[in-house]
Amino acid sequence: MRLSHFDYYAPTTVADAISLLQSKPDAHVMAGGTDLLIKMRHAGLKLKTIISLKSISGLNTIAFDETKGLTIGATALLADVAIHPDILKYYPTVAQAARGTANVQVRNMGTVIGNLCNASPAADNAPTLLAMGAEVHIQGPSGKRTVPLDQFFKGPGMTALEPAEIVTAVHVPRLTPHSGTAYISLSARGQLDCSAVGVATMVTLKEKVCEDTRIFVGACGPTPIRVPKAETIVRGKELTDDLIDQAGVQASAEATPITDVRASADYREKMVAVLTRRVLSQARKRASE
Amino acid sequence: MKKDFSIVGKSVPRNDGKAKATGTATYTDDIKLPGMLHGKILRSPFPHARILNIDTSRAASLPGVKCVITGEDTPKIKYGNWRLFPDTQDEYPLAIDKVRFIGDEVAAVAAVDADTAEEALELIKVDYEELPGIFDIDSAIKEGAPVLHDYCPGNISVNRKIHYGDIEKAFAESDYVREDVFNVHAVSPAYLEPCAAVAQCDLDGRITLWTSTQVPYIVQCLLASTMGMRENDVRVIKPFVGGGFGGKMELRTWEFCAAFIAKKTGRPVKFTMTREEEFLAGRRRHAMKLYSKVGFKKDGTLTGKDLRIYLDGGGYNAMGPTATFLCGTFGAMLYRYPNYRFWGQHVYTNKPPASAMRGFGAPQSLFATESQMNIAAEELGIDPIELRIKNAQVTGDEIPDVATISSCGFIEALQKAAEMSGWKEKRYSPKPGQGIGIGCYSFISGGVFNWFNTQFPFSAAEVRVFDDGTAHLLTMAADIGQGCDTVLKQILAEELGLKMEDIRITSADTSTTPQADLGAWGSRLTMMNGNAVLDAAKKIKAQLFGAVSARQNLNVIHELGCKDGMVFPKSRPDRGIPFGEAVAMAQKANRGEPLVERGYYTPRDKGLVTPAFSFGAQISEVEVDKDTGVVRVKKFWTAHDCGTVINQMAVEGQLEGSIQMGLGYALSEQFVMEDGKTLNTNFLDYKMPNAMDVPPSEVAHIETYEPEGPMGAKEAGEGLAIPTAPAIADAVHHATGYRCKDLPITPEKILAGKKD
Ligand SMILES: Cc1cc2nc3c(=O)[nH]c(=O)nc-3n(C[C@H](O)[C@H](O)[C@H](O)COP(=O)(O)OP(=O)(O)OC[C@H]3O[C@@H](n4cnc5c(N)ncnc54)[C@H](O)[C@@H]3O)c2cc1C
Repeated sequence: MRLSHFDYYAPTTVADAISLLQSKPDAHVMAGGTDLLIKMRHAGLKLKTIISLKSISGLNTIAFDETKGLTIGATALLADVAIHPDILKYYPTVAQAARGTANVQVRNMGTVIGNLCNASPAADNAPTLLAMGAEVHIQGPSGKRTVPLDQFFKGPGMTALEPAEIVTAVHVPRLTPHSGTAYISLSARGQLDCSAVGVATMVTLKEKVCEDTRIFVGACGPTPIRVPKAETIVRGKELTDDLIDQAGVQASAEATPITDVRASADYREKMVAVLTRRVLSQARKRASE
Repeated sequence: MKKDFSIVGKSVPRNDGKAKATGTATYTDDIKLPGMLHGKILRSPFPHARILNIDTSRAASLPGVKCVITGEDTPKIKYGNWRLFPDTQDEYPLAIDKVRFIGDEVAAVAAVDADTAEEALELIKVDYEELPGIFDIDSAIKEGAPVLHDYCPGNISVNRKIHYGDIEKAFAESDYVREDVFNVHAVSPAYLEPCAAVAQCDLDGRITLWTSTQVPYIVQCLLASTMGMRENDVRVIKPFVGGGFGGKMELRTWEFCAAFIAKKTGRPVKFTMTREEEFLAGRRRHAMKLYSKVGFKKDGTLTGKDLRIYLDGGGYNAMGPTATFLCGTFGAMLYRYPNYRFWGQHVYTNKPPASAMRGFGAPQSLFATESQMNIAAEELGIDPIELRIKNAQVTGDEIPDVATISSCGFIEALQKAAEMSGWKEKRYSPKPGQGIGIGCYSFISGGVFNWFNTQFPFSAAEVRVFDDGTAHLLTMAADIGQGCDTVLKQILAEELGLKMEDIRITSADTSTTPQADLGAWGSRLTMMNGNAVLDAAKKIKAQLFGAVSARQNLNVIHELGCKDGMVFPKSRPDRGIPFGEAVAMAQKANRGEPLVERGYYTPRDKGLVTPAFSFGAQISEVEVDKDTGVVRVKKFWTAHDCGTVINQMAVEGQLEGSIQMGLGYALSEQFVMEDGKTLNTNFLDYKMPNAMDVPPSEVAHIETYEPEGPMGAKEAGEGLAIPTAPAIADAVHHATGYRCKDLPITPEKILAGKKD
């Protein structure tokens, strides 16, 4: 399909980007463009204006603070997140999800925030960040605000962003002691592929008891979804294999997958149980290490 | 018969390697000519519809648009590769009256740039009357099914039967008879270079066409006939081509449209397909439904086979007739079937036409053969490799009506593959979740049956030699990435005793390279063009030897040789003369005429199928995740017989590429289709394995010497693409108890079919 002709802006401050967005209501912001340009070329998205965020200095910062946790800037590349030493050390699952997104070329262009703002239900970076209780920093015409990531996704391609708002960063709190995370996704081709289904969890243990958990399922609903009843099954109880199995079955019941070119609803549903089981036991292991 | 070779048999880097690796290789889409227009094709949105009216006026008046054509503007001449049987030629360059699949070509626009051409497509108004569509074999052959082509009321366009021995008697006398139905799916050749063509018309009305094709000669002839021109007023040039795998072996719409519009406008025209067009409407490997019945004696001796195949042909014949013939031929290869019956039928459906694709009917036919061999082995309680060895074809075997096998290393390949892989240990003491399986193949080294009805030799080569010690090889053979330019140069260098860098090659230009060559398909080039090159080289040598013998006053009993840039009497190597000097002498002896010779090859007295057969065995080891059904192939071991290996690296490259394709065919590639529409038209959702998915592999070349082949060589291009799917299927069965009879082997099928 034809790429429509568009104007291209590369503002150097967030404020400039926001006022450009205000003056050009049909404009889209672009980070790596690995979703946006493909939609323009292949999905009929006709844009008159693109506002690139890549010239805004400091927006690609990845910052880690012992107490405040991790902040990933809007233009930080998937490739950089995947190998950042602090992320590898303190947020291994966040790094793993970034490393498991797409391929080398796309990771060298694309961003974690772009992956979130694109709001695909299958976005590989969403489930882990959701499970870890991340929040997004938003800046817009009426100032700054912070939105928990689990309130950010509104539907396929839809987010809580208001007109002319930009996500400037995602913030991930530090894992509490005795906590572990895990993310597993499945796709039809090897490991490096768009996921047909994915599950992430964070588990906090007290001795053998699961003090808290958050479980999120990707590609099985209009947004990545939380499976609260599955969480209830394990929360506050000793995290046995048997209980983990039950949680898997429950997660599968809570997921609402559809059949599409990547997998059938039936297979996805079954896999939610398998993956939930696997991430819970992985996270349990990590939490007790 | 083996010879000591200097260049043949070595790992010689490819001719085109540097150009491709550095990005300087010029593909068709890289060609830019002054004043060139850009073309786009309007495609049918319906799987089956009558065209009532086409209004191109708005498109034609869009600024920048220079030409809009529909079928009505063209000479309306049908084409198809099977010229020998004009009934099979069922395609027009642009639809006349009817469209038969989503993506069928309806109109073409040429404009000053591609964007304008594309915009113009949206302004063409086509009134269609939708017709009921048929999307699978069973509905297509039902009584009263909608008819795609008026000439073919039952939708079966090709019938092929083979019968020898007495099959019913054979089954009656068998101890064990096995009957299965297999369904194999369509896949895309997925060559990395989408099709493209650039045409230019000179002031005399002659056409030059640069096109991404495997068959310059066929395109030349068919373009001429559809344009109503003389063949030699059309010149086809093949630039660098990024793969074909069978998908580029016919005249195609854009080639016609580029030429037609160039002639009409006087301006050069380029068409380049997008990946989406390729997936939506491009050629595919045939989906097939195979009913196979085999009989055995208790001891494992094969008694016969009855094979019934329906090919899902899509909207047009394309290369379907050949696939129909060949899947029957392949059904009787590899093992000794004293009794054999085959009936193949090619069926029209409202889907993109299937055509040639690497293996040309063999991956499908032999998937059934090999799966049934494995099933039978299990049920007879015989090791699958033993069962194969018991029934394996050997040198000297005759396949009725096909040929006598003049070289065969199948048994050695089976033994070697078993040994390399640790078959016994892994097959009989498997680890949980792991499995090992086997698949084998035999393939043709070029085809004999002259469906194109050419009056030329099947292949030709011209060799020019010069007094500076260099040579120039001209051939119409099409290097499409498989490496024949390199292999042909090696053969020439070997024969003339020159170095690779002494030889210039000009290939695949129908007006300057010797006529003709049927193209790059059926694994024919090393065999057929290699023989033509050898023939020319031998004639050159005869001339050189005459001149050198005269100059050296040699006794007539002396035989001469060429090696290391010298021409010398074999028994007196010290009396050699440098190659260039010998050339000068020969020229002087012949009134200064340049030393040029032509060589040809056409298989004769070799039956109707092929002059030579390759063989091989492949073993794969897999690990299956019992909860997710995901298969990971851990390793492949391949032992194969391609006769003399001309270029180690090239053969290994063919093997790696074959494994990648076979892996996709077995596990992940498929078209997701809904009512004739292909839904996964990009590489994100068409799951072709990438480099990281390809497991390690080990190879053993079982070298035989094929008397019909150049320096003993036969094919290594397509056969290797066959064994991977059955080998994986067998390994998955070994690991899970699930026996796949309908490809691909998806996790869902494994979960549904596994036995814990
Ligand atoms: C070959 C290929 C493979 C892929 N594989 C995967 C995969 O395995 N897993 C996966 O999850 N994804 C995959 N993707 C999708 C894509 O690469 C990722 O979603 C990537 O992270 C997007 O980042 P980007 O910076 O390129 O986003 P962009 O394309 O720049 O933006 C995406 C969307 O978010 C908006 N946006 C971007 N930044 C902001 C911001 N700061 N504020 C507000 N809105 C913003 C844009 O307007 C746009 O709508 C793949 C894509 C390709 C082409």
